[in-house]
Amino acid sequence: MSLSAAFNIINSSFRAIGAQTATISGNVANANTPGYSRQIASPITDAFNGVAVTSVTRVANAALAARVNLATSDSAAQAAISGGLAVLAQTVSDSYTATTAGAQQNGNSPFALLANFRVALSTYEAQPSSITAAQAAVTAAGQVTSSLNAGAAAVTQVRTQADQSIAQAVGTVNTLLAKFHAVNNSIISGLGSGENVGGLQDTRDSIVTQLSQQMGITTSLNPNGSMSIFTDNGATLFQNAPSNVTFAPSGTLGPNQTGTQLYINGQQITGSSTNTPLQSGAIAGLLQLRDTIAPQYQAQLDQVAGNLITAFQETDQSITTTGLPPLPGLFTTQGATSVPPSPTWAGLANSIVVNPNVDAAQGGNAFLLRDGGISDTADQNYTYNSSGQSGYTGRLTQMVSALTSPMSFSSGAGLGASASITDYSNASVSWLQGANQQASGAAAYQSSLQTQASSALNNATGVNLDNELTNMLTIESSYTASAKLLTTVSGMLKTLVNAV
Amino acid sequence: MSVSNVSSSYLAGALLPAVRQAQSQLATLEVEATTGQYADLGLQLGTQSGYELSLRTQDDLLQALTTANGVTQTNMSASQTALSSILSSAHNSASTLLTFASGTVSSGSLQTIGQSQLGQLIALGNLNSGGGYLFAGTNSSVAPLNDYFSTPTSSAKSAIDGAFQTYFGFAVGAPQVANISASQLQGFLSGPFAAQFQSPNWGSNWSSASNTNISSEISPGNSITTSTSANTAGFQQLAQGYAMLSEFGNIGLSAGAQQALAARASNSITQGASAIIQTQSQLGEAQSRVTQANDNMQGQMSLLQTQISRTDSIDPAQVATELTTLTTQLQTAYQLTAKIHSLSLAQYL
Repeated sequence: MSLSAAFNIINSSFRAIGAQTATISGNVANANTPGYSRQIASPITDAFNGVAVTSVTRVANAALAARVNLATSDSAAQAAISGGLAVLAQTVSDSYTATTAGAQQNGNSPFALLANFRVALSTYEAQPSSITAAQAAVTAAGQVTSSLNAGAAAVTQVRTQADQSIAQAVGTVNTLLAKFHAVNNSIISGLGSGENVGGLQDTRDSIVTQLSQQMGITTSLNPNGSMSIFTDNGATLFQNAPSNVTFAPSGTLGPNQTGTQLYINGQQITGSSTNTPLQSGAIAGLLQLRDTIAPQYQAQLDQVAGNLITAFQETDQSITTTGLPPLPGLFTTQGATSVPPSPTWAGLANSIVVNPNVDAAQGGNAFLLRDGGISDTADQNYTYNSSGQSGYTGRLTQMVSALTSPMSFSSGAGLGASASITDYSNASVSWLQGANQQASGAAAYQSSLQTQASSALNNATGVNLDNELTNMLTIESSYTASAKLLTTVSGMLKTLVNAV
Repeated sequence: MSVSNVSSSYLAGALLPAVRQAQSQLATLEVEATTGQYADLGLQLGTQSGYELSLRTQDDLLQALTTANGVTQTNMSASQTALSSILSSAHNSASTLLTFASGTVSSGSLQTIGQSQLGQLIALGNLNSGGGYLFAGTNSSVAPLNDYFSTPTSSAKSAIDGAFQTYFGFAVGAPQVANISASQLQGFLSGPFAAQFQSPNWGSNWSSASNTNISSEISPGNSITTSTSANTAGFQQLAQGYAMLSEFGNIGLSAGAQQALAARASNSITQGASAIIQTQSQLGEAQSRVTQANDNMQGQMSLLQTQISRTDSIDPAQVATELTTLTTQLQTAYQLTAKIHSLSLAQYL
């Protein structure tokens, strides 16, 4: 053992201390950088009994990171659904701020306005010769059709917006995949040449988390350090090279239009025709909103509209001629010449209107509500009050009972097959608000799960300043000791040289 | 238990989510405290929204029906008053006719009674309330009874004159009138004359009222007849009695025939009076049903109101307590955050 060997050991100690200090500085500097994983410089004994830092480890937790990604996907899906439902629910909410009683306070749902229309009918029935009451009833009927139109318009709006958001999300996914490709390549080459790739890995992880916002994904690490990404239904999103995600936006999605689906390298991965469609992420949530939830509400509105036209249709009242078909009465669609049969009701909620023949604002006669003959003012066969008596209420009574007697509905809309129009529209309000409440609760829950998972990951891989400072103190004293040693050995050498 | 790493950035922001949540809750509670209702009813009630809405709309319907019943009540009261005055006139006329036999009433006054009472009957029968004729049935925009004494001669009067001419072979004003015997007159009065006050003559000459009475929905799904028409036996019999006096009371009949006329008129008027009483009791029945329906609906509405406020209103005391708790929680969170930030080794080195 020579004194020069001691010099070398002390020198190695300075080198190791430098490396450790650099790592600690990096950690302290990035203490508040989101997604930063702390690094640890591990000193080891070298061949000459000195010390060396040969590797810097990055503290990573793959299990926690996967959980964060999963929670992010689920949360994004629920947030998309909840956002769309909130828009739809606004059309049926009753408003606590409205101070006037009646329809306004009960909101603008088809049910509230139907109930209001029924009240107007009863009022008119009590004073059948009053033109004011007649016009009030026609106005109330107009509010019912406006409400159905508004509900259907909201459905179109929600679906169109969902479609556009999916297109944007797909654009984001492709951009992220291109970035991921570049970072992944740098990591592979960096690992090959033994560089510190911690920063690059942080970037790669953050890209993965951003991807999981858009669609549910899983990742796997390959031996060469590269990462592969798969969607949660097993399609390959990235393996050595990014896949091509394609989606054709549809523009405005009306009641009878279905949107297109998502393709990865030409393979369809969403929609009911695939065995396992995409499960989570904003895209999956938006697709569910566009293809399942909003169309179901549209179907309910269409059923209400179709049954309204049917329930208020006018039948042949003449005794002499028989076999004239029923015609659409108070409720109709532009230019309709017959009562639409049930299978053709799709989109009726968008086009239902109050017959212009009874609407004074459009040059019609409100008294036709009482007398009948709304369908065709020139055809006396559909007039109920044939003698023109101003106290006639037979037709009004029929109308009131039409609102409350059972009609048949398509069970496909999810609210049963037989109910009165008012009960059905009431159930529709409950259905929508229930779905809204559930989605809102689920979104809040998933969001808090995501926060928890992120906190756990942050705790596991983040920087604790106190910890780093303590390490710094240890290194500082080690530096002091090494410096002291250097002085001592140097003194000894000087003594030796002087003695010679 | 292992002591795991706690990252400084997590520690610094650990209370942030709690603060954020508390703040959004605070905003909600503020709205609820001021309005007394849930901030977002639909979100709060969920599948109960339809139920809450149906309570409210049910309340609106009952309110509207109660208001409509007020109009119906007014119309029925007015009808009752008119019927009562018709009835008292009928009673007066009947008692006057009874005294005719004792000779205190002249033939001239018989005619006057007939004319004035018939005029009054028609006027009362054409009573109009709120834009509709009360005794017109569903044909409420047309005055039900035609003016008997109109110029040119009303169809009712022409028909009676014609029937007289046909039956006796001479006109009402002819001198042969004095030769009509009591039994001949009775034959005419109970035959062709009475037929004038029955269908179809009544409908074509006297009344344009509809035989269909107005029916009103007095409570949800419950409709009853709430009017009576001028086509009832009461009006027909009274008109018959009064027209008899007015037409033949002073045309120079023999004393016997005059007695028979008075008896016949008295009989008609008495029968009419009892028919009017019957109509009144039917109407009274409808009135009491409307009152009862109103009482029932009043009770239902107060129940509904209770139920509505139970469903959509908040408990002010609870909201106040929650507000206080939240404020305390927020303050604690702020203090803790400040403390945590000062907890750094760097400050002590």
